[in-house]
Amino acid sequence: MSLSAPHDPQAAPDAGTTRRSFLRTSAVLATGLAAVAASLKPLFEMEDIPSAEQFMQKYYKELTPADMAKVLQRIEREVEKQYGVRPHVRDLKPLDGVEFAYALNLSRCIGCRKCVHACVAENNQSRNPEIQYIRVLKLPHGTFDLEKSDHNYAPDQVPEKGFFTMPVQCQQCHNPPCVKVCPVHATWQETDGITVIDYDWCIGCRYCEAACPYWARRFNFTKPSIPADRLNPEMAYLGNRPRKKGVMEKCHFCIQRTRAGRYPACLEVCPTGSRKFGNVLDPNSEISQILRTKRVFMQLKEDVGTNPRFYYYFDV
Amino acid sequence: MHANNRTPLVLTLLAVVFVGLAAAFYSDSWGYPPPRAAIPLVDKALLDTATVRRSYADLIRAKEDLSDFDCYGCHDKKQPPPLRYDENQKLIVPPEHSDVVMGHGSHGRNNNCFNCHNENNLTTLQPRDGRELKLENSTQLCGSCHGPTYRDWDSGAHGRTNGYWNTKLGPALKKDCVNCHNPHSPRFPGRKPAPGPHTLHPSDTADRAAEAESPSTH
Repeated sequence: MSLSAPHDPQAAPDAGTTRRSFLRTSAVLATGLAAVAASLKPLFEMEDIPSAEQFMQKYYKELTPADMAKVLQRIEREVEKQYGVRPHVRDLKPLDGVEFAYALNLSRCIGCRKCVHACVAENNQSRNPEIQYIRVLKLPHGTFDLEKSDHNYAPDQVPEKGFFTMPVQCQQCHNPPCVKVCPVHATWQETDGITVIDYDWCIGCRYCEAACPYWARRFNFTKPSIPADRLNPEMAYLGNRPRKKGVMEKCHFCIQRTRAGRYPACLEVCPTGSRKFGNVLDPNSEISQILRTKRVFMQLKEDVGTNPRFYYYFDV
Repeated sequence: MHANNRTPLVLTLLAVVFVGLAAAFYSDSWGYPPPRAAIPLVDKALLDTATVRRSYADLIRAKEDLSDFDCYGCHDKKQPPPLRYDENQKLIVPPEHSDVVMGHGSHGRNNNCFNCHNENNLTTLQPRDGRELKLENSTQLCGSCHGPTYRDWDSGAHGRTNGYWNTKLGPALKKDCVNCHNPHSPRFPGRKPAPGPHTLHPSDTADRAAEAESPSTH
């Protein structure tokens, strides 16, 4: 209305709204509103608008068992609505007297990348754009200089003469830098050693991605695309339930399997038996035997002080 | 007075700009990235956790047809089958056993069937210490020569175990030597690796493919 208000009282003796000023003002207002509405269009196209329930959800550590039951039901409902598959979502807690560790035999790994794809299938990772927790590095014999590594190798046959391969994934550090930098405590280390992420609490600032010395964390730049027939319905809250756009994810030692006593998916699919997993607190477990008796190239990037729970070892 | 005359002009121009903006937003003229290149889904065979081979013990467990292991269906029980060698002292594998590839060790000296099979009872195995072993206990035969590997396998450092790490919650399925290794030619064959990571930008992928085509010298 200020536009129609006379600027100069002397120039508008009747001081009312003339037909001309009314039309002019309404035309300007209408185009202005149309432009504002048009510029908000991307907001209305958002696919991932959180439901009120999800938006108001409390922090994982503050949820009572009753709250959690409701949350799991909500997730099951939402997944079923989106993929047409009724999942089984659980909130598995760390087992008493269990601390996980992983060992990988560098003498046996042939670099076939089966672990990469078994992980994608098990953990409901986005297929396009691709999110993969495991990166297999090909390195020439005689060096651990990661600058010399190649992850895009595609020969007809592996292993290649003169090279070895080293799969790298989240190292589940004792002293995880990703946890320290999270401004909202959406990622933390559990008592069994797994560093987990609450996907409903993550704000997507990607500080953790920058802090990780192992490039282990992945960001969902878009809504993940997973074909419904490839969805793994056996899910865990802190594990492989489908993520949304704008949150971080990473390897969690297949929490939905390992906390139920099973081996991780990458281990089960490895054709050479290079991957070993278990409870280090049990002195008779496979993993304890390996750490005790094998030549362990301690941990990747030992010098940065993260103290990983992921060990690389050699035969002989 | 001059400024007042210019007001309608400015307003008209502004209106035109707004209308233009509105039209641009509605027609998605910018801000939308080009569509991503399709990434083919991986072959489900790559996700298979089964071992390459099945052991005799697996066949017994699955109650399968074991007629292939009925040695005395063809062989004579009274005398050990004769072995024939060519002029280079290489074993001639008879056509009945053409599926057997003799390639145990790169030295070529392990070319005698009865280094492992028992010539007096073909349905059993016999390590050099004279023990008689059933076919399903072949790991002990392997261990009679490959001591350190057997020790590692026994402790879990070598070989595959599927199932449960926590045996209170379920069984750990420890695989035998022959689940992965062909006893007649145990060296692990090479295989084609599964597809590597795809980039968001197809041009990068194309460059990489071109690079892979050209003979690399690194």
